[in-house]
Amino acid sequence: MKRGLSTPGGLPIVALPAIVIVILPVVAVMWRTNWSSFFSSITSDSSRTALNLSLQTSLAATFMALIFGTPLAWLLANREFKFKSLIRALCVLPMVLPPVVGGVALLYAFGRRGLIGAVLDEWFGIQLAFTETAAVLAQFFIAAPFFIVVMEAAFGQVDQRVVGTARTFGAGPWRTFVTITLGLVRPSLIAALVLTWARALGEFGATIAFAGNTPGRTQTVPLAVYSQLESGDDSALALSMLMMIVCVVALVALRGTWVSALRRGGQ
Amino acid sequence: MGKCIAQRWTVSLEIDCRLRRDKFSLDACFAVAAGSVLAITGTNGSGKTSTLDMIAGLLACSEGKISLSSKVFDDSTTNQFVQPELRGVSTVFQGGGLFSHLTVEKNILFGRGSMFRSTPRFDATIEQFNLNGLLKRKPSTLSGGQRQRVALARAFLAPSEILLLDEPTSSLDAISRDEVRRAMKTFFETYNGVVILVSHDDAEISALATAVINIKLASGMTTAYQLGHNL
Repeated sequence: MKRGLSTPGGLPIVALPAIVIVILPVVAVMWRTNWSSFFSSITSDSSRTALNLSLQTSLAATFMALIFGTPLAWLLANREFKFKSLIRALCVLPMVLPPVVGGVALLYAFGRRGLIGAVLDEWFGIQLAFTETAAVLAQFFIAAPFFIVVMEAAFGQVDQRVVGTARTFGAGPWRTFVTITLGLVRPSLIAALVLTWARALGEFGATIAFAGNTPGRTQTVPLAVYSQLESGDDSALALSMLMMIVCVVALVALRGTWVSALRRGGQ
Repeated sequence: MGKCIAQRWTVSLEIDCRLRRDKFSLDACFAVAAGSVLAITGTNGSGKTSTLDMIAGLLACSEGKISLSSKVFDDSTTNQFVQPELRGVSTVFQGGGLFSHLTVEKNILFGRGSMFRSTPRFDATIEQFNLNGLLKRKPSTLSGGQRQRVALARAFLAPSEILLLDEPTSSLDAISRDEVRRAMKTFFETYNGVVILVSHDDAEISALATAVINIKLASGMTTAYQLGHNL
């Protein structure tokens, strides 16, 4: 018997299935990956095309989240306005929505016969659906909520008295926002960007519904993995393994900062 | 307007304004001459910090007027409001209001203070507040007393016409409190702007202030006060 305060017994045993279910698939992919052909599989033409496309589209979606998500998160954290809770709920909706439903919704909004898509097509001859732009929009739709949620929490944690102090010492509203507010939330901002990028990189459902599965145009890595699995291609495993490595590296690089950022909203 | 301000000085901060909130109402009416130190005391929640916020420009008066000599900061009748960065007010708010992502040096040289980068005046301020060796550190690595000294150094270095200090020594232990008070006393002797010091400490008030007003929570929600005695 150990001396000291007792804790609920048996919890580790009940927690075990959670660990197994999460970790075992990772191990399984590592085990089944053909490491001798790993490099040639991920550098094959079709894999390289998918990797290039995924890199471009996910970075574009993350950049969009940064540019449009930052002001929105700040407004949600600092200003009171009409329908604020409704807007917040709608912003977070894609996090819980089945991604494929999101893709269908995007189609009805920006598709050729969609709400805005019809106007774009008729007036400007712009067709978004089933293009590379559609893949970016699908990723933005699914991943941006992660950015907005993390950043709203971060902005909410910023001490308004500190911001006010910067104003009294002579910094205007914009200078204060850039040098003080954004400086204070920087750890959260980096965490939010990595999280958003990782989510955009893994997007599947919304992309296949709204952008389709055209190799070289809209077939991102997750779609390529799916297609390769369908056709019994072994490089599916290699690409899966690569995605896993990228995600693990991203999380390790953050060294848990995103966890604390989610918890405390930074600082 | 200005009924409660009995005396006028050539350069003075004049406040005659009301702040109305859902469950809070504040009537502030007093004047402070340049070169004097006005202490404000009062219970928690009586509106001391709100008063400082209105002077600094972080809050607008619901009605009334704030002016420094002929410069109008805030006037509800003419719809004037000068932004805080244009008022020339240096502040030490509770907790110091330091920028936790910047070094001590960058905190002190922020905004108006930046004109004194690598000047004798900067060195003298660092010396006065005993901040040598801390310049490259981040505020989170400092003790409460050190942080407060940084906040005061920043407020003293930046040129200002009004200095607002919200309980600048409340978070300090007895030894650093004496140290900080001596530094404040030395600074006030040569400072020719208006100083407003919020404090609960009688010894501090009698050592530093030239006038005192006491904010009382009167008639439930309303706080009203006037200048107790002029110099």
